[in-house]
Amino acid sequence: MSELIMILVGGVKIGSIYALAALGIVVIHKATRVVNFAQGGLVLLGAYGAYVFIVEMRWPYWMAYVVIPAIVGCVAVLIEIVVLRRMRRGDLFPVVIATIFLGIALSEGYRLSTRAEILSVPSFVSTMPFVIGSVVISPEQLWVTFGALLAAAAGIAIFQHGRVGRSMRAMASNVRGAQLCGYSIDRVYGMTWFLGGALAGYAGVFTAPVRGVSSELAIATVAAAFVAAVIGGFDSLIGAVAGGLILGVSETLAAAYISSAMKSAISFLLLFVVLAIRPQGLFAPKKVRSV
Amino acid sequence: MFNVARHRPLFIALAPLLSVVAVVGLGAAVDSYWQYVLGMSLSAMLVGSALVMLTGYARCITLATGSIMAIGAYASAILTVKSGMPFAAAVIAGAIMGGAGGFLMALPSVRFRSHNLAMVTLVFQEVVIILLREWKSVTGGAEGLNVPAPHLFGVTISNDFIFLIVLAVGTSVGLLPLSILLQGAFGKNLRAMACSEVAARAYGINVKRNLIAAFTISSFAIALASALMAPRLRIIDPDSFGILPSIFALAYPIVGGTTSIWGGILGGGLLRAMPEILRPIADYIELGEALLVIGIVLFLPGGIIELFNRLHKIVTRGHFVKAGKLPDFISSERPPERGKLCSGENVAWAARIEELSVRYGALKAVDQVSLNVRQGTIHGLMGANGAGKTTLFNAVSGFIKPSGGSISVFGEALDGLLIEDRIRLGVTRTFQNVAIFSGLTCLENVKIGLGRNDIGTALARSVHGTFDTIRAREESETAMRALHSVGLSAYAYVRSELLSLGNQRRLELARAIVSNPKLLLLDEPVSGVAEEEVSKIHELLRRINRDHGITMLIVEHNIGFLASLCDRLTVLNHGRVVAEGEPKATVSLPLVRDIYFGEALVA
Amino acid sequence: MTLFVKNLGVSYGRITAVKDLSFSIAPGESLALLGPNGAGKTSAVESIAGLIPKAAGSVVFDGVDLTGRSADQIVKKGIALVPQWRELFPSFSVHETLLAAVGAARHRQPVKLDTIYEYFPALSLRKNQAAGSLSGGEQQMLAIGRALVTNPRIILLDEPSAGLAIGIARSLVGILSRIRDSGVGLLVVEQNLELARSLATSCVVLAAATTRWRGEIDHALHSDELRRAYFE
Repeated sequence: MSELIMILVGGVKIGSIYALAALGIVVIHKATRVVNFAQGGLVLLGAYGAYVFIVEMRWPYWMAYVVIPAIVGCVAVLIEIVVLRRMRRGDLFPVVIATIFLGIALSEGYRLSTRAEILSVPSFVSTMPFVIGSVVISPEQLWVTFGALLAAAAGIAIFQHGRVGRSMRAMASNVRGAQLCGYSIDRVYGMTWFLGGALAGYAGVFTAPVRGVSSELAIATVAAAFVAAVIGGFDSLIGAVAGGLILGVSETLAAAYISSAMKSAISFLLLFVVLAIRPQGLFAPKKVRSV
Repeated sequence: MFNVARHRPLFIALAPLLSVVAVVGLGAAVDSYWQYVLGMSLSAMLVGSALVMLTGYARCITLATGSIMAIGAYASAILTVKSGMPFAAAVIAGAIMGGAGGFLMALPSVRFRSHNLAMVTLVFQEVVIILLREWKSVTGGAEGLNVPAPHLFGVTISNDFIFLIVLAVGTSVGLLPLSILLQGAFGKNLRAMACSEVAARAYGINVKRNLIAAFTISSFAIALASALMAPRLRIIDPDSFGILPSIFALAYPIVGGTTSIWGGILGGGLLRAMPEILRPIADYIELGEALLVIGIVLFLPGGIIELFNRLHKIVTRGHFVKAGKLPDFISSERPPERGKLCSGENVAWAARIEELSVRYGALKAVDQVSLNVRQGTIHGLMGANGAGKTTLFNAVSGFIKPSGGSISVFGEALDGLLIEDRIRLGVTRTFQNVAIFSGLTCLENVKIGLGRNDIGTALARSVHGTFDTIRAREESETAMRALHSVGLSAYAYVRSELLSLGNQRRLELARAIVSNPKLLLLDEPVSGVAEEEVSKIHELLRRINRDHGITMLIVEHNIGFLASLCDRLTVLNHGRVVAEGEPKATVSLPLVRDIYFGEALVA
Repeated sequence: MTLFVKNLGVSYGRITAVKDLSFSIAPGESLALLGPNGAGKTSAVESIAGLIPKAAGSVVFDGVDLTGRSADQIVKKGIALVPQWRELFPSFSVHETLLAAVGAARHRQPVKLDTIYEYFPALSLRKNQAAGSLSGGEQQMLAIGRALVTNPRIILLDEPSAGLAIGIARSLVGILSRIRDSGVGLLVVEQNLELARSLATSCVVLAAATTRWRGEIDHALHSDELRRAYFE
């Protein structure tokens, strides 16, 4: 039983990082209709940024949690302005291709800037485990879990409440109506990409000490984030978080009780099952009649 | 007399093989290492061409190319090693298994579009790689599998140049059918589908089946390419067929060009050889390729082929016939008086609509409408916005499922019949927002109207087209006649998107009548058309109705046009029939005027 | 503070929706745009409002050339549109919808929400109700209210009475008359001539993208031009 709890804790920890990455994808898709396959690359950027900030520059660790997401957010806005803005009126096919290869460009750019297979980043809090009853957990696990979920909650709060979020939700709901209120598509899309990028940046900063920084991180993260987003229901913020947690827990359970090969397979199995039975996702928002 | 024009399709189909010959020719002049590189290029040319079909024409984003290549390579290698199958047979077997894999992958995927479709292919990709990694006893697991040198006709091929020739032959075996299909009816149908799913379905193109076919055929070719190359790679392992190679394969059609097989040949051949040609900066190649793709998508969406097209246009100044002097096909006879068109008691009903209802929740868009259209007549349908005429129209043409009532055409019930199948009953339609297939010529657009578009027939027609058989020529002639009857024969080989709106509407009409339909549904045929053209279309429709006896049901907002054209007019308001009868009289009814000037609002 | 529309042309690809439309509206003035379906009235107002690009002509307001500007920029200059399909946000509450317009129109000194609720008491009873669950008339009120929040000098209305019961339509017209009398210019696209007459004195009649007639509405009702525009 205690073993199960420890496995679940591990699963929730990894799941909360997936949740962050998935949330970024869903935020961008909800407000701009673009599917951001480059999200994994942005997470990698955040992780690498954390490495540079903390290990190479030796700047205060806590500042990384503020600065890195902001930087990644800015890179995301750059992507929107330089690449995607031109393609806004056309069909989505070239946009998907563009984001796929942007993600590749980011991970290749990373691979070229460092010779190491994998870079390791120390944890923010102690990794010394402590014991509660018969369960062994570490402060690091708690920090990553709560920190990531807190960042996700903040992201959701920004989107659901407040002026900026209102502009994003209005755009998401009806672009023409939003424009008639006075919202500019350029500005709202820019802010949306910043938010999506910042969430990816947070995912990166939390992931770096947990999994290290490597070029596989980009593809692995974007695949996991997508699976989580689809499971949750592509346009539901809560769904993205829930999907991430479900995925993280399933992977960890599968790895522990079945085999490590199943760990990779389980996410795709889950995806397949959800797409087969409930393609709109587990937490899909109700279809509201347009007015 | 050797008629070059007649054999043009055959030459076009065979031309890609010239590039294979060119590569072999080049191989004769270089050393063993470069022969190996050229071999890889050949293989990539085949993969690129296959992806032109799937990603270029059918617009499916596939992340599973690596897994299909893995199936091809592993299947043929295992068959060679474990059961001593001769090389050629093993390669074909590997290709067939790849095709089967593509088929299996397509079955669940084609329900989805865009990113969801990509995700399902990703599932397939990952599952295959995991299987290959775990099934150690058969595949050797992560360490890989040794692939022996190929045996052909009792000889072991160890010479790189001979192997290049073998590759060339194998690649040609894959390229030829792709070439025939891409330039033939099957390829045209795929492009039509990607252009307007709605119009494609109306003319018998079943979207799901075509996508499955595209997946299967392209997977066969991809697996073939990989199986051919495997012996030269000597060792194959699961990781070399992962997601990254899959994504980079997408670059072949995108960079080369998505509109013709040459894009795949160019993109595949060039991009695969790049890392070898640019050896000194090999490390930066992948980043360069990714940036190249992004640049192409932004600035040259048609790919490198597009550059050649533009050059060609500048050099030949195009053959664009200016809109202007159209041959005048408008008859100067006065149309026979209406009422004399239908004879006596034995009136056949072209369409019987009985108590038809369409409900959206509590809203009754169409409320128990009964309407009968006499054979050979033109029947008009009018009403204010929201009156239900578009909904009624869509129910008859199969785009909406009615909540009640029945529709029958020439005695056959339409209930539950798929859109793709209605054309077989002789029902065709035009669309309010002109839904011609851009990227295809006018003649190609009209040929799709013939409705011979189920998979088997489309594949067969592609072959017929290449060999310019009697059947292919008959089809062309029928299509030309239809173009002639709407006055567009001068535009037969012009790309349809270059026409003016009025001409595009004529093209839609030609497409709708070429199959000699029994019932033609016209959705706002003069909406947005310039005034001078409106009267021309009026005459055209009258003439088609008279000469071909095609029954028409027309929805229009232009009341003057409609009332002077149709034999009988039905007026809808709030989903109900409020008036029906002789057009001029019906339009003069005070009730009808009130609808338009606004006294009758919802109570 | 006058809106000058000169030789406006609107095209969608090959389709000419509007050709050579010209008129002017000053604050306090009102103009009706009449004509049958497909005449180009909606394309005209949406183009002026910046939702669709113009193909030709110019739109000048208060001396500023607005040609080619996007919808949000035009709202910020003081021209608001109540579109034909309302384009509300189904999951937003009444209050939040109005807040959305406040947020975006900050530097126009947005109208206080209390004033909007005074114009539309029915809305103030439903402040927290989702826009998607409102009745047709209430949704129309919300759409007009949303436009009002941005403190416009000119309001464009595309078929404000469409789909509404005649009683509700008449009361809306009453509110719109009050708004007009408070100094806001009104351009109304209306199919219902009775309502058009209550809101505007002059009109422009469109059919098949071209201007058929312009003048006093009463005159139009008695002349042949209107009947011809609709039925020929």
